[in-house]
Amino acid sequence: MDLLGQVLINGALLGGLYAMMALGLALVWGVLNIVNLAHGAFIMLGAYVSLYLFTYAHIDPFLGLPITAVVMFAVGYGVQRGILNLIVRAPMFNTLLITFGLEVVLTYLAQLTFSADFRTINPSYAGDSIVLGPVVLPLARLLAFGVAIALTVGMWLFLLRTRLGRAIRATAQNLVAARLYGVEPRHLYAVTFGIGIALAGAAGGLYGTVSQINPYIGAALTAKSFAISIIGGLDNPLGVIVGGLFLGILESLAALYVGPTYADVASFGVLVLVLIVRPTGLLGKAA
Amino acid sequence: MTALRIILILAALAVLAAVPWFGSDVLIQFGINALLLAVLAQGWNIIGGYTGYASFGNSVFYGLGSYGVAIAMVQWHLPFAVGLAFGVVLAVAFAVLLGIPVLRLRGHYFAIATLALAQVMTAIVSNVELAGQNIGLVLPPLNNDRLFYELSLGLLVLVTLTVFWLTRSRFGFGLIAIRENEEGAEVMGVNTTLYKTLAFALSGVFSALAGGIHAYWVTFIDPESAFDISLNVKMIIMAVFGGPGTVLGPVVGALSLSAISEFLSSEVTSVAGLFFGIVVVAAVVLMPRGLADVFRRFRKTGWRYFAENIRAHRL
Repeated sequence: MDLLGQVLINGALLGGLYAMMALGLALVWGVLNIVNLAHGAFIMLGAYVSLYLFTYAHIDPFLGLPITAVVMFAVGYGVQRGILNLIVRAPMFNTLLITFGLEVVLTYLAQLTFSADFRTINPSYAGDSIVLGPVVLPLARLLAFGVAIALTVGMWLFLLRTRLGRAIRATAQNLVAARLYGVEPRHLYAVTFGIGIALAGAAGGLYGTVSQINPYIGAALTAKSFAISIIGGLDNPLGVIVGGLFLGILESLAALYVGPTYADVASFGVLVLVLIVRPTGLLGKAA
Repeated sequence: MTALRIILILAALAVLAAVPWFGSDVLIQFGINALLLAVLAQGWNIIGGYTGYASFGNSVFYGLGSYGVAIAMVQWHLPFAVGLAFGVVLAVAFAVLLGIPVLRLRGHYFAIATLALAQVMTAIVSNVELAGQNIGLVLPPLNNDRLFYELSLGLLVLVTLTVFWLTRSRFGFGLIAIRENEEGAEVMGVNTTLYKTLAFALSGVFSALAGGIHAYWVTFIDPESAFDISLNVKMIIMAVFGGPGTVLGPVVGALSLSAISEFLSSEVTSVAGLFFGIVVVAAVVLMPRGLADVFRRFRKTGWRYFAENIRAHRL
C-alpha cells in the first residue's frame, strides 16, 4: 500500500511537469494552428540552457529558470518570425513537415554541441526529501511540481486578464477581426510562439533536475505533450493540468504493475484511444 | 513525347539494373539502401501523396516486414520467400486492425496517432519472446549483394507500376477524391473507409517487403533498428521533396537525396544528419509541391517560382 501511495505521488509530481510541457504546445496549436513537432526538441534545448547556466555560471536551476525562459523566448520569436511565419497559411501537412524538419535540425545541433551523453542538473539539494508519513517527497521533484503548476496557472491568468493575453486569444478566434482592431499578426504570432517555447524551455530546465537528459529526449516529449493536450482538450488551459496528472500517474502505475518499458506504451496507447473515442479531449466540448 | 519518356525511363532502368555488374561493392551497397528508401517513399506516396493521409507510422510496416522474415527464417527455419509473405500478412493485419479506427481521424490527429503507434512498437516488440526480445535476431547470412540489389530494384519497379496504375484506375481516382474532399467523395459513392484501409494496407505491403529484404541483407535486426522512427522522417521527406502525389517524384526524390546524403556523410560526417532537416525546411518553404512541380513550372515562371510559393503561404 505504501508502495502504491508512493507511486501515485511520484506520478502526480511528474504529471505537474508534464502539464507545463504540454501548455506551450497547446498554446501554439490553439492560436497559430501549428502542431509543433519540434516542441520536445525545444524542451530539450531549455534543459541544456539550464544545465549550462548551472555548470558554468553556478546559477541554481530553479532561480535560473527566468533566464532560460528569456533565452528560449528569443529563440522561439526568431524561429516564428524567420521561418514559420512563411508557411502559416500553407496546408496543415506542410506545417507538420517543417516542424518535423526543425526537430531533426535541433536534435543534431544538440548532439554536435552537447554530445550524446546522458546528463542531469544536480544541485546540492538534489538528494534531499521530505518524509510525510509513509511517503517520501523528493525535494527537487516537489519544487519542480510547484513551479510548473504555478506557471501553468499564471499563464492561464495572463491569457484571461492582460491586454496581450486578450490579443492572443482574439487572434486565435478570428485573425481578420483581430487585425482590424490593431493586432499586428506577424509580431503577435512570433510572441505567442515565443511564449510557447519559453514555457517549453522552462519545463526542460525543470525536467533536467528530476530526470536524465540527452539530445534525443525530444520526440517522446512531443508525443506526450500532444497526448496531454488531447486528453485535456485545447479549450481550457487548465485542462493540461488534468491531462498531465492523468498521464503522469498512469505511466507510474504502468511501470509498477506491467513493467518499466510499458510506461510509454501506456501513455501512447491512451493517446490513440482518446483520439479515436473522443478527439476533442476528455474535457473538451463535443465536436 | 510519351514514347520518348518511356524510352528514357527504360534506359534509366537498364542502367540501374546493370549497376551490380560494373559498380564497386560500395556502390552496390549504397544502391540497395537507396532503392529500399525509394520503395518506402513510393509506398508512403500511396497513403500520404494520393490519399492525403499523412502517415507518420509507415516505419511500423517496415519493422513488421523485417520481423516477419527474421521470425520465419530464424525461429521456424522457413525459406526467405515465406518470410516475406509472413511479413506482408503481418503488415496487412496491422493496417486493417489499426487502420480502421485510426483512419477515422483527420489531419493532425491522424498524423500524431500514427506517430504514437510507431513509438510504442519498439517497446512492445522488445517484450515478445518469439521476436528475440530486445536482443534481436541474427539471420543466416547470404553473401549475394547482386541478388539483394536486383530484388530491391524489382520491388521499386513493382511499387512504381502500382502507383502508375493508381493514376488511371477507379481505385486511384477514389483515393484522389478522398484527398481532395472526403465528404464529396463519400457523396459520390466512394466507400471511403474501404478505400482508405486498402490504400493504407497497400502502402504497408510494399514497406513490409522493403523491410524484409533489408533484414535478410543486413542479417541482424533488433527492435530499435527495425522500428526506427527516423525512417519515417526520411521516407516522408524524400516523397515530399520529389513531389507527393506524382508517379516518379518520390523515386527521384529518394535517389537524389540518398546520393547527396551519402556524399555529405563521406565528406563531412557530422553534417549528413542535419542535411535532411535543412532540406525539408527549405523544401516546405520554397517548393511545397516538390521537384515534380518545379520541373513542370520553372520554365514558365523562372526564379519567381520560389518567391511566389513564399508569397502564397506567408502571413
